[in-house]
Amino acid sequence: MTLRLFRVDDRLVHGQVVIGWGRPLATRFIVLVDNGVCESDWEQDLYRMAVPNDVQLIFANVAEAAAHMVEWVADPRPGMLLTADLATMAALHDAVPALIRRINLGGLHHRPGRVERLRYIYLGEAEEALLRRLRRDGAEISAQDLPTTPAVDLEALLR
Amino acid sequence: MKPRTEALLRLLAVQASYTYERMAGIGVGHAAAPLLRDVFATRSVRERREAVARSADFFNSHPYLAGVAVGAEVKAEQDGVPGPVISRLRTALSGPLGALGDQLIWAGWVPALIGIGLIAAPWAGLWAIVGIVLVHNVLRLWLTAWGLDLGLREGLRVGGALQRSWLPRGAVEAQRVAAFAVGAALPVVAWQVLQHASRGEVGATVGVALVGVVLSVVPRTRVRVSGLRFGLLLVGVALLALGGLR
Repeated sequence: MTLRLFRVDDRLVHGQVVIGWGRPLATRFIVLVDNGVCESDWEQDLYRMAVPNDVQLIFANVAEAAAHMVEWVADPRPGMLLTADLATMAALHDAVPALIRRINLGGLHHRPGRVERLRYIYLGEAEEALLRRLRRDGAEISAQDLPTTPAVDLEALLR
Repeated sequence: MKPRTEALLRLLAVQASYTYERMAGIGVGHAAAPLLRDVFATRSVRERREAVARSADFFNSHPYLAGVAVGAEVKAEQDGVPGPVISRLRTALSGPLGALGDQLIWAGWVPALIGIGLIAAPWAGLWAIVGIVLVHNVLRLWLTAWGLDLGLREGLRVGGALQRSWLPRGAVEAQRVAAFAVGAALPVVAWQVLQHASRGEVGATVGVALVGVVLSVVPRTRVRVSGLRFGLLLVGVALLALGGLR
């Protein structure tokens, strides 16, 4: 499997993703799955600027991502897939559960109604329920902002 | 004081209220407030409060380029762009401004100035340090003002304007200058440190440097250890080796 990271991060493409994970994983393509960004040219322009020239950035909505997942998994180049929220990652997992086994929580920041779980993970009740449901459906979930920091298992995260 | 000047001065302290909850959000909101006060002078208080609250929401980027985001969101508010779209603009700007700022400043002009300072230090002494601190701060002030004006001019179109500007190319060139300056500084520093050292001490230093070079190209090192920790570890080993020899 060459999609090496399935990450939920509300900042989408930024330094931790491109440099922190991208360099050690030798990432050559990034799939950004977001229904809003997929329809917004100016947002796509901005995200492209955050990616080095030798890394391909692919924009897709959930339906397109589900349709192309087999192709991306078979791609010999190392890649990663990003969503800005848990609902999008859950929708994708529901569509292709066998292809998304591990989910990385990389950044879900403060919003009204969310509680701090880690410095970079804030969760509301609905999001916690969604994470538990994803785990029941077979996904391995952990929080880890960078590869050089320890991963926190979902059990410990929600304790 | 004019709103732009007030915003510019506040941008110099954009990280003063840095928190994990909102990162630089409060600083950005604080910097945007004088401009928003001006923009919303003829609109309702409720609208202005909503705009100020939006501008103080979570934001993470390079602090020296935060002016681009402040300017762009103020222009978008002025143009009557819906609130949710402005929030998306802030999110979308975080990554590129962070990446470009890291390349231009942390990987570009800062190491370049340090390299130049190290080369000049044996001859200019303390003036070398004073010089690079002055140049750094002049560049920082100029960059912040440039970014604020670009954002205020372009609003939602700021992404295209950034792409067409000198910034992406400048970020690449700054890293090349940095690599050259640090490379040129290495023999000067080595000469300064080791000119009175014994052959054993020179050998130990070269040995640690070689181990560092070899380990830094091993993929496992790059995944498991951050560059800062790795560098500090090597400096520690070098100091221990030199201490053991003396």
